[in-house]
Amino acid sequence: MNKKFTKKDLSFWHNLYIPEIVKGLGLTWKAMRGPKQTMEYPEEKFIPTGSYRGRPVLAMEENGEERCVACGLCSRICPALAIEVQAAETEREKERYPVKFEINMLRCIFCGFCEDVCPEEAIVMSDKYELVFDNREDAIFGKDRLLTPVEQLKPRIEFLRKHK
Amino acid sequence: MDQVIDNDLTYSRAVEALKKYAVETDDPLDNEMVLNMGPQHPATHGVLRLLLSLDGETVTNCVPMLGYLHRGYEKMAEDMNYYDYIPHTDRLDYLAPPSNNVAFVLAVEKLLGIEIPRRASYIRMINSELARIASHLVAIGAMVMDAGAMTVFLWCFREREKIQELYDLIMGARFTTSYTRIGGVSGDITDEAQAGILEFLDQFPETLDDLEKLLNANRIFVQRTDGVGVISAEDAIDLGVSGPNLRASGVEHDIRRAEPYLFYNEMDFKIPTYSNGDSLARYWVRMDEMRESIKIIRQAMEMMPFGDIMANSPKKAIPRKVEIYSKMEELINDFMLTNFGAEPPVGEVYHAVENPKGELGFHIVSRGEGHPWKMKIKSPSATNLQALPHLVNGHMISDVVVILGSLDPVMGEADK
Repeated sequence: MNKKFTKKDLSFWHNLYIPEIVKGLGLTWKAMRGPKQTMEYPEEKFIPTGSYRGRPVLAMEENGEERCVACGLCSRICPALAIEVQAAETEREKERYPVKFEINMLRCIFCGFCEDVCPEEAIVMSDKYELVFDNREDAIFGKDRLLTPVEQLKPRIEFLRKHK
Repeated sequence: MDQVIDNDLTYSRAVEALKKYAVETDDPLDNEMVLNMGPQHPATHGVLRLLLSLDGETVTNCVPMLGYLHRGYEKMAEDMNYYDYIPHTDRLDYLAPPSNNVAFVLAVEKLLGIEIPRRASYIRMINSELARIASHLVAIGAMVMDAGAMTVFLWCFREREKIQELYDLIMGARFTTSYTRIGGVSGDITDEAQAGILEFLDQFPETLDDLEKLLNANRIFVQRTDGVGVISAEDAIDLGVSGPNLRASGVEHDIRRAEPYLFYNEMDFKIPTYSNGDSLARYWVRMDEMRESIKIIRQAMEMMPFGDIMANSPKKAIPRKVEIYSKMEELINDFMLTNFGAEPPVGEVYHAVENPKGELGFHIVSRGEGHPWKMKIKSPSATNLQALPHLVNGHMISDVVVILGSLDPVMGEADK
């Protein structure tokens, strides 16, 4: 731990300030020769790990069907009221499916609660973090933009099963 | 100095109060000028507005006006279940979100009477201490930048960036973490994250040394802060100042020691205390606290046992994901908890933790429903700001920003 100085403790050399400047420049020189701390973002992309909570997506099985059974838990828990689900019945094995599943990405706060409560592993926080819209309508993601093949979500799903 | 300052004053009433003060203090020529500092002033750490009464360049009185970032968080809590409220606590003291999560969740757990697994407690402790380091780094960086040094600010943010990358690995988000859950934590800490924390702890003391080399004997910094904004121990206690600001005045009070929560009673750490009570002492306390936090994290990493991260208490804590997928009972619990929330018994509870800024407490009144009937947040920034008028009197305008920086308020928390 370095010594602490009050005004009284400062010696003539400290008050002269020149040695302090030299010391400070020395540290600056050290920092200049150190590793670079920044990322050249658009050229160099940040690659998230499995723990990362990106934008929520709906998992799609290999046969093109969604896993979601439209139970509405995600919509119920969402603190930002971003999710809207409308359920319907079908002849398929799972009997229920969402006719309409919308996430308003202007409201979403990426808290991951929807994923936390989902009993079907259907809504998953992906590793996607680039979200750009030029109008409000575009920000409401329907099923067409939410459905993502399970393979793409593998790191996150593995993380969920192992660590959650 | 002895004036009672009412924070609910509207602007005109505040100006009137200052004018009345000018008359009372024998200033018939009205030499004093009222200067409006903020809410858009870059040195007020957010949207704090100060009305300064000036005699030349000397501050004679000051009225802080809070409330520009008021989002009604206490009222909102009455309308949402306990689980839903966790992300909102991130946005109180947004420089230390994991710490706020822990504070809120501990209060709720006290109300519910849940015993949480040891591993979860240790993970919470590690996160809280990481948050403390991150918060103090910003506090020091901003304070020193207010005093005129840019390098320290950049170096502090460089280190904070590393902590945020760790947040990303542990909790999944860099800023609004929403990681702690009622009954435990949302996910286990990965090996990668643990290695990352240790790596950070290994190199961090060196950076602290560098920062101290730049600042401790720096004539300009010492002269700007030594003896500036002095508050005595008695005044600090009377005004409700808490956290590092209180310890800089010589009061050795730390809730981690006074009323240990989690496993702080098992940790070996010192409580840095200085008796000067000035801005310089507040900087020293923060510097030393970061070193103590390193010690705590290291001990917690060593002592952390393997095991569950979520309490096994149906109807109170959400079960683990794998169990929800495969077991009926857990699935039903998941539905019940999501729809109705954890329903605590009728009663009141207050639980406070030592946040980086000071004592953050949640007072929850429950009527047996899934949401609080009333919730009061005791936020350290708001109470610390009450001391500001007493600190700035008699100093120059340029000292106001340094004193404010040394108090380290976060307006998200002060205005709630």
